[in-house]
Amino acid sequence: MDNTPEQLRFTGTGSEYFGIWIVNLLLTIVTLGIYSSWAKVRRLQYFYRHTELAGSSFDFHGNAVKIFIGRLIALSMLIAYNLTIRLQSPLVIVILIALAIAMPWLLRNSLRFRLYNSSWRGTRFHFRGSLSGAYRVFLLNGFLALITVYIMAPYMHQRMKAYQHNNSWFGRTPFTFNARAGQFYLLYLMLLAAILVFALVVGLAGIGGTFIAITQMKSGGHPVDPRTIITTLVILYGALILAGILIGPTFHALITNLIWNNTRLGEHRIECKMSPLPLMWISASNFVLVVVTLGLFIPFAVVRATKYQMECMRVLPASDLQEFAAADPEVVGTVGEEAATAFDFDIAL
Amino acid sequence: MLRANYFDGRSTRIYAVELSMVSDDLVVRGENFDFKFPFSQVQVDERLGRAARRLRFNGGAFCEVSDLVGLDGLLAMTPHQEGRIDRMQRRLPTVLVSCLAFMALAIAAYRWGVPWAAALGARRLPASVGKTITTQELKILDGRILLPSKISLERQKALRKQFMSLILPEGGVPNSNLLFRASSLGANAFTLPDGTIVVLDDLITTINNSQQIIAVLSHELGHAHGHHGLQLLLQSSLIGTFWTFYIGDISQLLAAAPVALAQAKYSQELERQADDYGAGLLRGNGMSPQLLADVLKKLTELHPSASKGGYLSSHPSTDERMQHLHFLAAHTSDQ
Repeated sequence: MDNTPEQLRFTGTGSEYFGIWIVNLLLTIVTLGIYSSWAKVRRLQYFYRHTELAGSSFDFHGNAVKIFIGRLIALSMLIAYNLTIRLQSPLVIVILIALAIAMPWLLRNSLRFRLYNSSWRGTRFHFRGSLSGAYRVFLLNGFLALITVYIMAPYMHQRMKAYQHNNSWFGRTPFTFNARAGQFYLLYLMLLAAILVFALVVGLAGIGGTFIAITQMKSGGHPVDPRTIITTLVILYGALILAGILIGPTFHALITNLIWNNTRLGEHRIECKMSPLPLMWISASNFVLVVVTLGLFIPFAVVRATKYQMECMRVLPASDLQEFAAADPEVVGTVGEEAATAFDFDIAL
Repeated sequence: MLRANYFDGRSTRIYAVELSMVSDDLVVRGENFDFKFPFSQVQVDERLGRAARRLRFNGGAFCEVSDLVGLDGLLAMTPHQEGRIDRMQRRLPTVLVSCLAFMALAIAAYRWGVPWAAALGARRLPASVGKTITTQELKILDGRILLPSKISLERQKALRKQFMSLILPEGGVPNSNLLFRASSLGANAFTLPDGTIVVLDDLITTINNSQQIIAVLSHELGHAHGHHGLQLLLQSSLIGTFWTFYIGDISQLLAAAPVALAQAKYSQELERQADDYGAGLLRGNGMSPQLLADVLKKLTELHPSASKGGYLSSHPSTDERMQHLHFLAAHTSDQ
């Protein structure tokens, strides 16, 4: 029995993925978007099959036709929504309410679809969250966060992750989640503090710019010098990019670590050690290279980011990883996981 | 003999096996078992990069093969054919051709597709849309960038009268609103989305020639006639949507940047269209397109740096426009 930590490994390379990306992008354009569902399956398969744990890779089993049908339904809903808005019809409210009611059900189905179609060593993942749970987490808590001016947002995030991870299974083995809402609040407070500091800098620049503009206007009745406006805008935009590069990756790393370090698969612990600095470097350099290459660096950028994030994760086995049993096929049939694929929304939670 | 891992689909247990082909059957040989499977019922996964490939059997069992070269050797003994898209993804020529085709399509869409669609949309949108946007824009500009005009009311009245007596190439008189404003933006005039034309004081004092001012206004009427203000707005949202789709995964912020870049190039094309329309209008009213060229010459002499043009400027180079207008003027005198 071998209980050494098993690190996730990602073996994909940018140059390999480039060929897959460009061919599928072209096919998607030539077929006016129809091929995009098949391209998506191939993309997910590329990333799953190049992700290894203990020498075995993951696999994605999603059916492109089902994804295509789901997208058609989603598209028709979007068109219906846009049409009613365009026509300024009172139906908008009806459609908005219908969407709000349908959303938790759709999200739950998409979680089911995603997990049921993922496997490792031939054993599939499952999502068994209840429908009432989905309404509580996505609708009721969302509403509560809204009316408390987002003071409850960290709590809602914690509830969402708990719903997601506590209802996930690998074969017959359940995942458990035990991060507390207080830990989420701590991270969100740090995020708020960082944003406030940036807002102060940006606000001072804005006030300074406006002050100069007003002085110019008062002295001699000249209109505002456009250069003052441009300088102010450059400072604001620069601060926004800087905030995106510094704050975004830091918060992402800390919250991802919190979530995975508090998730277990049966008795096995999961460890995530993402650090902000490499993540900042990867996102900043990806940003520059994607701009310089007019987007052709995208596949390389995605592979770089995926590789770093995957390889931060380790499984600390409590016992042999060969002991997992697949779920009973009859149980899978009654829960209807195979059928629950009419909607596939790729919503990252 | 090809090494592989066998999984039964019921647990995560690894069975080390060796694979071989015996006539039409795939033979799977492990430590404690040994079975044959008709190859015609084995499903072979498409190749994806250097990922391990799976040979799938009925009922969820499969073999995971990491030795891709060895697997190719095994598959060579079978009727198995690699998928067409798999070959396209792997071969350098098809990847290069796809890359070039993608860039060609992107350039064509950017050069012709987007302006075409936006021009179509601008013509179809109800007039109220242009009106609403113009009211909003003026509300922002007036009192900040634009100040009340210092041109005498008689001068304004005279210009407006001359403007309103123009006969448009498509028939009728201009139905554009004409506004006079003072601004530090220099000698310029511009057209807002509903066709309202704003003339800045500096333009009138610099040119100081009614005929030439009317020439500038006919150019602006070209913008109004072509709904260029709305077209530019639609183009920016089309380009923005495309970039969000193409690059949005990487950065939302980034997606906004190319819009400004694309706008500059598009507006050059619209300036040329407005020049052509203005030249036609002047001709139809018994004036020469040369007037517009004269204005450009006058403005260039005052601000030499403005004539350079190039990719990032919103107007084509002044030399280019003057040559074109000379050509149009020469054409008129022949008729």
